[in-house]
Amino acid sequence: MHCRRQCAYIQPYAISGIEKAVSISTTDPGLAGKSSTHSPAVLDFRGVSTEPSAFFDTPLWDVSFRLSQGQLLLVRMERGRFRLPLADLAAGILEPADGAVEFMGRNWQEMAADYASAQRAKVGRVFGSQGWINFLGVGQNITLAQRHHTTRTDTDIEAEATELARIFGLPGLPHRPVSGARLEDLNRSAFVRAFLGQPALIILERPTRDLMPAILPPLVNAVRIARDRGCAILWTTSEDLVWRDPGIDATFKCTMFGARMNVVAEEK
Amino acid sequence: MNTFAQVGNFALNGWREICYLSGITAQALFVGVKPRYWTRPVRAEFYRQILSIGIDSIGFVFYVASAVGIVVVAQALVWLQVVGQSKSLGALFVTVLIREAVPILTNFLIIGRSGTALTSELGNMRISGEVRVLDAQGLDPFIYLVMPRVLSLTVSVFCLAVLFVAVSFSSGYLCSLLLSPAIADPGTFIYSIFSSLNPVDIINFLAKSIIPALFTGAICCAEGLRVEASITEVPPATKRALSRSVRALFGISALVTLLTYV
Repeated sequence: MHCRRQCAYIQPYAISGIEKAVSISTTDPGLAGKSSTHSPAVLDFRGVSTEPSAFFDTPLWDVSFRLSQGQLLLVRMERGRFRLPLADLAAGILEPADGAVEFMGRNWQEMAADYASAQRAKVGRVFGSQGWINFLGVGQNITLAQRHHTTRTDTDIEAEATELARIFGLPGLPHRPVSGARLEDLNRSAFVRAFLGQPALIILERPTRDLMPAILPPLVNAVRIARDRGCAILWTTSEDLVWRDPGIDATFKCTMFGARMNVVAEEK
Repeated sequence: MNTFAQVGNFALNGWREICYLSGITAQALFVGVKPRYWTRPVRAEFYRQILSIGIDSIGFVFYVASAVGIVVVAQALVWLQVVGQSKSLGALFVTVLIREAVPILTNFLIIGRSGTALTSELGNMRISGEVRVLDAQGLDPFIYLVMPRVLSLTVSVFCLAVLFVAVSFSSGYLCSLLLSPAIADPGTFIYSIFSSLNPVDIINFLAKSIIPALFTGAICCAEGLRVEASITEVPPATKRALSRSVRALFGISALVTLLTYV
């Protein structure tokens, strides 16, 4: 597995990681149990359902999966239903109507507020919709969580952010106001923010929108490096190119069907 | 619902609102004294708000304070000469300005200039999903948005109130020199002010400057963060914040006056 990842790091499009394409219910206890034998679960959805809401295009119904260290779940969304509560549930900012979401072995709903906030520092995220604080510059937005949660020096944080910015095709850490930044730069900056500080879980909500296909190689490589150090990835997409890309090497591939999530492929 | 029940509901809702706002205020103070919550972004946000609420309002407060000093002197000179007490200008300044006018006017100016802006800003942040973005990154909106705003508004109001006193007294004295050359020299004027001040006046000034400002911050933040989904909710939230802040200002001022002077 590790070797295959290293190869794909050099040639991201050369290797197919997913060959199986069978439909399995996510509530299948076998699926939830398999990954648990590898390493501790980073993210664990247990029979999660949500209420319909104006903020989302579809609720979730009885969704169960378990993401361990280094695993990647690729979720394909239905056309026109891009706003899912999946990411908010995974980050613990949305309470499920039924079921439980555990992060690093603890239920989000049972954590004290301060502890939950500190745990969220371990979650990197590319937001599906507007994800920027307008009164801050882009660079300040990128480094905000690290400056809040850690005692790392500003120089150290900015050096890591600059390095990531270059990986994702930016000339350096952007310092423009959000309102004055180009959309493409904002989308690339979102990756810098998500990968900054070596998070334990990275949530990518339709990350390649407006940036395909140029963004895919650096993104796939960054994801691979993050997985190698034990980061779990939850990646939602609506694009065929991403869904079929062999370089992504997803541990599980699921499709949304209404409020249900079906596993269509699982790594052997 | 009968009238009795309506009155009861109104009273209960009012009481709940007071408890809720007192809770926000107390929590802001409680969190504000703990150094671990003053992370780099929170400190930056506090300074940004001090700049926006306090520093940017200096010119506005300076202008109003100058005008108030002139108005009070013009009236005072007329009436003090009528009663033959021209030397009591300092004492009158203390009674009219320090005890009542300055804390209320300063709070009033800041409610109008910054409080409503604060509600609109937070309301728009809610609608655009920025509050959710903060939450998702582990930045508690109360720590990052509410606490710095409540405390910076309070610090700003207090500092601006002190500035208001200094400017209004200066402008008042200069105006009195122009209108009545027989007025006392500056030393006598300052001495008459300080000799008229007693500890209760200072407590009263502090309480009337700080407590309404804390509640204004809490009200404006709470109303802003109550906005749910639509941009059309922002103007009503701003109006509610304005009316509630003004009610709280006058209610607290009256209560403080009753507690300190009666």
